[in-house]
Amino acid sequence: MKKGMTIIAGAFFLAAFMVLSVQSQEDMAEVDPSVFMNPQRPAAVFKHDEHNETAGIEECNECHHVYEDGKLLEYESSEDMRCGDCHGLEAEGNMPSLVKAFHGNCKGCHEKQKGGPIMCGECHVR
Amino acid sequence: MHDVYQFVSGPLAWVAFLLFIGGSLYRIIAMLAEVKEKEPFIFTYMSLKYSLRSILHWITPFATYNWRRNPVLTVVTFVFHICLFACPIFLLAHVTLWDEAWDIRWWTLPDAVADVMTVIVIACCLFFLIRRVTQREVKFVTYPSDYVILGIVAAPFLTGFLAYHQWFTYPVFMILHVLAGEVMLAAIPFTRLSHMLFSPFTRAYMGSEFGVIRKSKDY
Amino acid sequence: MAEPAVTQDQEKEEEQKVVDDGIDVGISRLTTDKIETVINQVLKTETGARLKTYVNTCIHCGLCSEACHYYMSHDKDPKWSPVGKVKQTIWEMIRKKGRLAPEEIRRVVEIAHTECNLCRRCLQFCPFGIDIAYLISMARRICHKLGVTPKYIQDTAHSHSVSMNQMWVKGDEWPDTLQWQEEEARGEFPTLRIPLEKEGADIMYSVIAPEPKFQAQLIYQAAAIMETAGVNWTMPADKGWDNSDMAMFTGDNEIMGRIKRSHFETAVRLRVKRIVMGECGHAFRSVYDTGNRWLGWSHPPIPIVHAIDFYYELLKENRIPIKEKFKEPVTLHDPCNVIRGGGLMEKSRYVAHALCDTVVEMHPNREYNYCCCAGGGVINCGPPYKLKRVKSNKVKAEQLMEARTRGAKVIISPCHNCHSGLKDIKNYYDLHMDIKFFGDIIYQIMEKPE
Repeated sequence: MKKGMTIIAGAFFLAAFMVLSVQSQEDMAEVDPSVFMNPQRPAAVFKHDEHNETAGIEECNECHHVYEDGKLLEYESSEDMRCGDCHGLEAEGNMPSLVKAFHGNCKGCHEKQKGGPIMCGECHVR
Repeated sequence: MHDVYQFVSGPLAWVAFLLFIGGSLYRIIAMLAEVKEKEPFIFTYMSLKYSLRSILHWITPFATYNWRRNPVLTVVTFVFHICLFACPIFLLAHVTLWDEAWDIRWWTLPDAVADVMTVIVIACCLFFLIRRVTQREVKFVTYPSDYVILGIVAAPFLTGFLAYHQWFTYPVFMILHVLAGEVMLAAIPFTRLSHMLFSPFTRAYMGSEFGVIRKSKDY
Repeated sequence: MAEPAVTQDQEKEEEQKVVDDGIDVGISRLTTDKIETVINQVLKTETGARLKTYVNTCIHCGLCSEACHYYMSHDKDPKWSPVGKVKQTIWEMIRKKGRLAPEEIRRVVEIAHTECNLCRRCLQFCPFGIDIAYLISMARRICHKLGVTPKYIQDTAHSHSVSMNQMWVKGDEWPDTLQWQEEEARGEFPTLRIPLEKEGADIMYSVIAPEPKFQAQLIYQAAAIMETAGVNWTMPADKGWDNSDMAMFTGDNEIMGRIKRSHFETAVRLRVKRIVMGECGHAFRSVYDTGNRWLGWSHPPIPIVHAIDFYYELLKENRIPIKEKFKEPVTLHDPCNVIRGGGLMEKSRYVAHALCDTVVEMHPNREYNYCCCAGGGVINCGPPYKLKRVKSNKVKAEQLMEARTRGAKVIISPCHNCHSGLKDIKNYYDLHMDIKFFGDIIYQIMEKPE
């Protein structure tokens, strides 16, 4: 019995490790929802390279921005960080919550560019 | 679709809310002004105590004689109205839109709960429809407008349900949902959905008459 | 309940064949243009936000239906429901912008005058508190202005206008009747007086005109009670003694105002502290609630005490010595105007229990009691509508029958209209119950001089 439990636990960790290790920009298919405790919608669909190609985005910091004292630092970029490193689950001062940051970053840009998904279900596809 | 959605969720939403809020204020102020002009005696009899007595009894399930006499309808009516208000106001997706547009947010319902509430509202609308068609005393006083306002109320929930589950063509139902919601909001002050605005006043007046003059119960 | 002697077909025919000059002649003089003018004049100038809001707020739910004895007595046929009747009258006028054909006015007048008692039970059933009785009253007002009102009740309104009483009682007939009753009563109560025109008395006692006209013994009884209780009272010798008001029910508000003013002014002239009125419901509504408002008084300018309230006071203070309580089990009918309209339900019960050994409650009771189907001017529309009136209150017969199965032998009805209406119902449905006023019972059981 005990042995069985060990095998299951081992397999679980192995699987988790494999999933995490293979995740990279090229293969990215959705925004990682793991930080959310109780997500209400399916993870937002997002194919990183395909998106950037379609949108014609060259600079990382178009999305991976850095703000300091509420000001956008034009030449800084943050692709080496996770969004959640700055944005908490709740808003703090000027810093929008993670959800709002995602929505603002994606939908906000789509609205400005008059292109790309802007309705809930277009990203949170079931 | 992009532009259509932008339009219905942008300028049209403004129009709908302006019609709803402006229209509601207009209807209430116009009514009070007319009372003041032609029937000012009504104000003479208004009593806060008896207004509240009447309103509180009627917004509490089974607290009035007639609610107790119609248990099924009472349950349906209360569940319907609670879901009708709570579901859209506390829906996560709606609060998210308020948050993004105005930076205001409040407590939200889990989506699964809101989903059930939506189904309840649709089921209640069906109940009211069936009641309207089958009950003689209701059918006799039913006009086409009664079906229209029932449809106006059911539509946002029906389309919202389809959009949430992304059945059929999602963007179409999403846009229809926004439109249906706007039609409902704009219709409230200008149709008999205005019972939402006027019922506190009619209730308060009847409560006051029964309390101050008739010294008996209006519930 | 035995089947009535007449067959149903005969009855149906009789019901449909109503001949009423007040309506027939009135309608013959109407044109659609005239109707349009009058309806719009009333709806635009005499009504305001109240009527509009009621019409716009009604969600057509039908929840008022079962409040109505007409609806309940006609196998729940929706044309008799409160909202059904509003639909056939006020809604129709609004929908057609007042352009009704003369024959359509016939239906309006029938509904407003003979198919609604304005008992206001439906007001307690409407979730929005829509005053359905007010809407029907407005329909009556419109009919009045069109000159289409059932003849019998119109006659009483004419009487009010000419003689300031409901029954064409002439100037000298009134004091004559009082003196006659005084004389009669002095055989039993040697010191009894019916004090006329006594300025500064505590109480002015007022009655409805049918009392001197054909129920003079009620004045006798009242005098006997006053005498026994040692009340300092008076009655006016001239106009203003009648507290009744059929004009209120025909929508003739102008005459209603005149007769109420005369009533109040008489009390003021006699410098009495308050007006005590006999066991009448509609008069109470007129003096306590409706007439005073028309005259601009938010509340009656002088305290109005209904007989129930007055007996309550006397019994509570032990001012009426009781020989022996009333033996037969009684049931208590709650008249709309003094119970739903005046809150005297508990006082009425106090009086009943103080007078009677056994009080059997009928169900529903208190402010939820079923109407007698006579009030609101319906019985005053006269014989042409009697059959409809009794048939429209089967539910009352059932309610009384149920009280009878629990032992009630006597119905106490502290209202004239209810009294007469219940008598017709009891006869039509063979209920074998007696109907009495509180006054009848008090007079019967109180101690009298040897």
